[in-house]
Amino acid sequence: MQADAIPPRPQPAVRALNCPSCGSAVTLRAAGYSVTVGCPSCGSILDVNDAAVKLITEYHEMAAGLDIPLGTRGTYDGIEWEVIGHLDRSIYGAWPWEEYLLFNPYYGYRWLVTDGQSWSFGELLTMTPGYLTYDTLCIGDMEFRRFFAEREVQVDRVIGEFYWRVAAGERVASAEWAGPGWMLSRESNANEVSWTLLKLLTPAEMAEFGVSGVPRRPWPPPPHMVSPHRAWLGTGLKVAGAALGFLLLLMVFFAGGRWSDAGWFPVSAGVTGEQTVTIGPLRFDRPYQRVEIRAEVPRLENGWLDLDYSLVNRADQKVYEAYGAAERYNGVDSDGAWSEGSRASQVSMASVPRGEYDLIVEYRGNKWDGGYQQTFDGWMDAGNAPRVGILVRTGGLYGANLIVAAILLLLPLLWGLFRHVRFEQARQGESDFDPTGAAALFRTSEDEED
Amino acid sequence: MTLTLNCPNCGAQAVFRSPALPCRVCDYCQSLLVRNDAGVSAVGKAAALPFDVSPVRIGMRGRADGIGFEVVGRVRWAWTDGSWNEWLLLFQDGSYGWLGDAMGLFMLLREEPVARVRAKALRRVIEGGEAVPGVEAQHGGVKYQVSDARDVLCIAAEGELPFTAPPGWRVYSVDLKGPAGECATLQRDRDEATFYTGRYVLLGDLEPSGLRAIEGWGMPAYAS
Repeated sequence: MQADAIPPRPQPAVRALNCPSCGSAVTLRAAGYSVTVGCPSCGSILDVNDAAVKLITEYHEMAAGLDIPLGTRGTYDGIEWEVIGHLDRSIYGAWPWEEYLLFNPYYGYRWLVTDGQSWSFGELLTMTPGYLTYDTLCIGDMEFRRFFAEREVQVDRVIGEFYWRVAAGERVASAEWAGPGWMLSRESNANEVSWTLLKLLTPAEMAEFGVSGVPRRPWPPPPHMVSPHRAWLGTGLKVAGAALGFLLLLMVFFAGGRWSDAGWFPVSAGVTGEQTVTIGPLRFDRPYQRVEIRAEVPRLENGWLDLDYSLVNRADQKVYEAYGAAERYNGVDSDGAWSEGSRASQVSMASVPRGEYDLIVEYRGNKWDGGYQQTFDGWMDAGNAPRVGILVRTGGLYGANLIVAAILLLLPLLWGLFRHVRFEQARQGESDFDPTGAAALFRTSEDEED
Repeated sequence: MTLTLNCPNCGAQAVFRSPALPCRVCDYCQSLLVRNDAGVSAVGKAAALPFDVSPVRIGMRGRADGIGFEVVGRVRWAWTDGSWNEWLLLFQDGSYGWLGDAMGLFMLLREEPVARVRAKALRRVIEGGEAVPGVEAQHGGVKYQVSDARDVLCIAAEGELPFTAPPGWRVYSVDLKGPAGECATLQRDRDEATFYTGRYVLLGDLEPSGLRAIEGWGMPAYAS
């Protein structure tokens, strides 16, 4: 318990040594873990496994400037990391990339990996990802699709310290899988297989490590970048759908314009034949319009009113005809009182051209005697003052307008889709496998031959 | 249970906290002490521990699988390409386990009777043979894979231990990994084999208190 009584002095964090080749000071930042050190001054590889520092490979080169100098500290996700090592790697000298080793004594090791444009934060996995399908791996509910087939990669240059014996020329087999925002990398040699999970970093996250100028939209996009057009497209589709729906509703309920009260006309008592009224002039201003005519018969009961409409163009005498009827009945049966029908009738004529018109309404009242020879006139009794009101309006659904609106709404969406497909094709362009998802759309025969 | 004796070499107090841990390294003169019926005898000398920045230290406390523990000892092992710590955890129930501290990763391991090992690849090692990396070995319902097999050397030790760990002690060590973070180690020296199974853990999951303070680094959020 004496350990609790007097807090021990903090452990020094670094071990200082001198490069046996060039003599410059080398700082060991993960003493006890580090095995290999690449001298930052001359690039010689040192063995620090034992107390005595041994020279493994001697180099006499000036270390090129690193984007992040060794010893730099940065915070990611609330944890501070120190850059302690740097590797230049490539596929036999082609397709180079860089890896920085990060260390925190309380959290172990992580990686910063960059292809020169985008950066990722890597963590070694202690478990093995599972196969979901032949081309898809999973960790929990994260999914990764195969992206780079296995190929041999090598270490080209070593600077700083590492927890294994690393040297220029070291080769491992490497394969990669990509998911939205994440990559999965598998490296293997004769003795060991290791899996690393990499998360794409934002420019702001890299600024924490002193790296500025990281492009927000690198081109071509890295394998694990989420298409920025995807979310836009999704939202755009929802907004456009809602707008179109609203437009439709608006047209159905309000687009017709107001009813104009064309006039009220008496319905003669008795069966006296057809009556005719002429309403006009009616003026229609649009090139073509739908004309709706409504008849209202407030007193209608147990009878019907036949209505023949003729819309006559004053200029060319062209006639547009329609027929309507308002009928209403009631009575009492074993189920009680009933009624059916309506005291109004509505008809419409589509595509009536612009012009001045007369509306000729021929109407004829009828009564229903329910099978009995009734002598009185029913609803058409003169004392009842039966009458019919005619109302006219233009409008209704204008298909053409709707189509124009739909095109206007879809244009930006098509542009978004085009950009999304272009992004996905560029993102998957480097993959060793066939494109999937949006990138598989709109492929030319030229693509197929690749 | 705690027994306080004096180091026969330097006379300093040497505390033995558990009958399961009959060996220890004198905190003052690094003598290797073994407790016996006659008291305590020095059987050799441990080497000084090389400098490292491990966050674990003797006296650190924590909790694993619901049982509190204290770190009471450590063995430092090395092989041609690196070295690591095995911290000895004495649990409140009197049992002990190991916290492997290698390459920034931690493994919580408990000893299992070697007799329980049935896997062919491992039986061969117990009987003096060698293991091949990549070979599968099933144990306790877990499909392990041999990830490493090599000679390792004890380079230093401190605190209390269940065995003497003299510097230069050479053992053949086989590491195994399971698919979901399980791990196991089979060690064999000239006389006998021991088998440990467990899993990878995060130091923060062990609710550690009394971590080693390291200059220039803030204590982690998980430290209590």
